Amino acid sequence: MRLFGLFMLIFIMWIMIMTVSYFLVFIIGPLHINVFYNSMDRLISSIIKASLAIGLVIVLILLLGFLKTKYLQKALLKN
Amino acid sequence: MIYPLDITIYGIIVSAISFSIVFFITPAFIEYLTRKGRVVVDYHKPGKLMVPRPAGPVLLIGVVISEIILYFLILDVKIISVLLTTIIAFIIGYIDDLKTMPGWFKPAALILAAIPIIVLGTHGNYLGLIFDSAFIPILYILLILSIIPIVGNTINSIDVFNGVASGFIIITMIPLLVSVILFSNTNVFLIGLPLLFGCIAIYQYHKFPSKIFLGDSGTLLLGSMYAGISIVGNSEIIGVIALLPAVMNSFLFLSSVKKIVEHREVKTRPVTICDDFRLMASKDNSAPATLVRLILARGPLSEQEIITRIFILATFSSILAIISIGIQYAFMIGKLSL
Repeated sequence: MRLFGLFMLIFIMWIMIMTVSYFLVFIIGPLHINVFYNSMDRLISSIIKASLAIGLVIVLILLLGFLKTKYLQKALLKN
Repeated sequence: MIYPLDITIYGIIVSAISFSIVFFITPAFIEYLTRKGRVVVDYHKPGKLMVPRPAGPVLLIGVVISEIILYFLILDVKIISVLLTTIIAFIIGYIDDLKTMPGWFKPAALILAAIPIIVLGTHGNYLGLIFDSAFIPILYILLILSIIPIVGNTINSIDVFNGVASGFIIITMIPLLVSVILFSNTNVFLIGLPLLFGCIAIYQYHKFPSKIFLGDSGTLLLGSMYAGISIVGNSEIIGVIALLPAVMNSFLFLSSVKKIVEHREVKTRPVTICDDFRLMASKDNSAPATLVRLILARGPLSEQEIITRIFILATFSSILAIISIGIQYAFMIGKLSL
């Protein structure tokens, strides 16, 4: 089937989005860091959470890039 | 409080107005554009067929009139914010239709289109992440400033064949409307209807063989309004999932050429035209990777066959978006938990 590879690529992208959502909600979301034991901790936690979330999105993009390269090698160069 | 009967009546009114305006004005607009010589070559057809462009102004008239009527019916500021976003995106696209601008122009200028949503405060502070929502008030502003340009350009870059952009939006609007009705409110659902029915009307003229092309004004209008509805309707991730084939197309293109450029600026074309006007994937390794090039990887196809395959992929991603809506809804009502 001509579109099978593209279906799989879209499906993997969907799984990756769901995985990132899971990590953001269940791992990064509840994270709380106590450093000074005052209101500054909330700000520090937020900054760390935001940095981790952005880092996760960057990892997602890099993974997509890797996936794209692999798929292109398979789909285009072999033909 | 709007009652279900009122929602149905308002929905029918705005859908009918948007559809009728676009459907009945377009033939006259096609004649006007042809008379003024505002036509471009459809390179994928034999005999260098000339097609009028752009259809953006007709779409804008249909959407603006129906949204203004909706505003007087339900008085929701979200309508104004989505409408302003759409109008700004249309103007940016229309400038590009009149005068070819550099590749950075559209993405950079489209940041302006995100401002009405932020200034009028019609966005939420929570990002719906399928399993729950995340409270990200500052990060969310940055997200809005990037969503509008990304979606606008994504729809713009997938509009490479007859009827693709309008057909693609029709298919992907279905999960988006289901999502906004579940996770936002009926007002945002009503805001989305003029876009859907305007698209259905213009598709009658844009589909293969096209009688009119959307132009940048049309595609940026569609993409930015889609993004605006997903933002005010708390359905950003669902919107991204539904648009995955178009997102993949933009991602493939950007990661191949490694800079923001217009498709027309790329020296090596991703696809070539055979003698029988079927299209074939470029064998040149330096050619950019696009969704169409991947579809053609196993051999040449006609334009109509490619369009059908893009719509199949859009249907597949829309099904994934509906599954995601199901999961999100199950988590929201407590039927599922981890």
